[in-house]
Amino acid sequence: MQTTAVAGSGIGLRAPHVDEIVATRPAVDWLEVHAENYMMAGGPALRALERLRHDYPLSIHGVGLSLGSADGLDVAHLERLARLVDRLEPALVSEHLSWSIVDGAYLNHLLPLPYTDETLAIVSAHVARVQDRLGRRLLVENPSGYLRFAGAEMPEAEFLATLARRTGCGLLCDVNNIHVTCANLGGDPDAYLAALPPAAVGEIHLAGHAVNDADGHEILIDDHGSPVAPAVWSLYERALERFGPAPA
Amino acid sequence: MLGDDACVAALDVAGDALAPAARVAVYRHHVLTSLTAALEAMFPVVVRLVDVRFFRYAADRYVRAHPPGRPCLFEYGASFPEFLAAFPPCRHLVYLADVARLEWAMNVALHAADAAPLTAEALRALAPGAVGDLALDLHPSVTLLRSPWPVDRIWRANQPGAEDAVVALDAGGACVQVWRRDDDVVVRMLTPAALALRTALAGGRRLAVAAAAALTAEPDVDLPALLREAVDEGCLTA
Repeated sequence: MQTTAVAGSGIGLRAPHVDEIVATRPAVDWLEVHAENYMMAGGPALRALERLRHDYPLSIHGVGLSLGSADGLDVAHLERLARLVDRLEPALVSEHLSWSIVDGAYLNHLLPLPYTDETLAIVSAHVARVQDRLGRRLLVENPSGYLRFAGAEMPEAEFLATLARRTGCGLLCDVNNIHVTCANLGGDPDAYLAALPPAAVGEIHLAGHAVNDADGHEILIDDHGSPVAPAVWSLYERALERFGPAPA
Repeated sequence: MLGDDACVAALDVAGDALAPAARVAVYRHHVLTSLTAALEAMFPVVVRLVDVRFFRYAADRYVRAHPPGRPCLFEYGASFPEFLAAFPPCRHLVYLADVARLEWAMNVALHAADAAPLTAEALRALAPGAVGDLALDLHPSVTLLRSPWPVDRIWRANQPGAEDAVVALDAGGACVQVWRRDDDVVVRMLTPAALALRTALAGGRRLAVAAAAALTAEPDVDLPALLREAVDEGCLTA
């Protein structure tokens, strides 16, 4: 298993900014890209990223592996991820604690899982298989939550901690998602942080959210477009205190 | 996620101040809007032709009936042109599906495998004598399109910054090639002979057979010039 070789602050790289990064080479410590945006056979986007990886460590952040799918892992997609990882040799590889594929349809969203022992067995088996295939540690990110299943048997943080203990996977701690989930579902962000094993946290995400109205109730939506909220900044500081200097 | 509200009742979602249906709606909204937005980005000229409100309506129907089969959104929408051709509310826009095919071909060109184009020197070196037996191929980024409608003019007239032009639908059909040249996607009209030559090469025909197809399309065509043009465009591989 490969170990983390990045530190400091990176940025999530989106397609419209690639030319600017190539031209200006800003002083960021590393770059993070969505795996699924670079699984094409060839072309300028992939070539630009191959140039950038010589100057910056990369983090490959997957959104489509559907680790929580009850009907099995999409093996063809795992192979595409493995080819991309071989090609780009990133410092970090991460995915989400969610599902997005059902009956062969990909729903393009990080859909919620019931946190039960049965789900834990499914996700653990999938994470183990991904780590075996990639030959490296996977970081698993907490999603933003908008609903809780009535049959849930454990809190999300406990689910993640157990997953990390069982599989040896790392955790990508998204402090904005913790803030959003706790606000939407009721929960204490500090208790959430306290339940995560510090040694497992290999990366921290910091992002913004929007405040929306749903049937007259305030609901926070993770939108990756809004500025980081003050409460999330302070949660980030407490995460750094607990987890040490993880790349963010 | 793609069905109607009745499905929500079957889910074991905890309710409180906010009802389960409203919570599930947050996810459903994102699934449908993010996938229709992906199609909107993929087919900007179709969006312009039918207005964004109609496009979103049609795309929503398409997403529900044909959700992506794979998690890479740059691969999503291959069957959208066929869907538009059969979608009753816009079936009278006879050219629309072919415009969508052209836009899809641009997307294919952008993400196709890299391959070194055949150069004039390499062609000469390959074939000192038996040119006719050469099996050349088209660059992986190439799509050849033939439409009974002037889709290339419609497409050009709807590019950002293009002057408002009226395109006469009876202006004649179009033979179009879409491919990636260096890093840019190019849309170009082809003559019937050029289309015949390239279609035959794409089908694995020897150069002599492809040349015969070009002559059938245009009996007095200049064959060496036709081949030179294809090499200069960087759309052939050996």
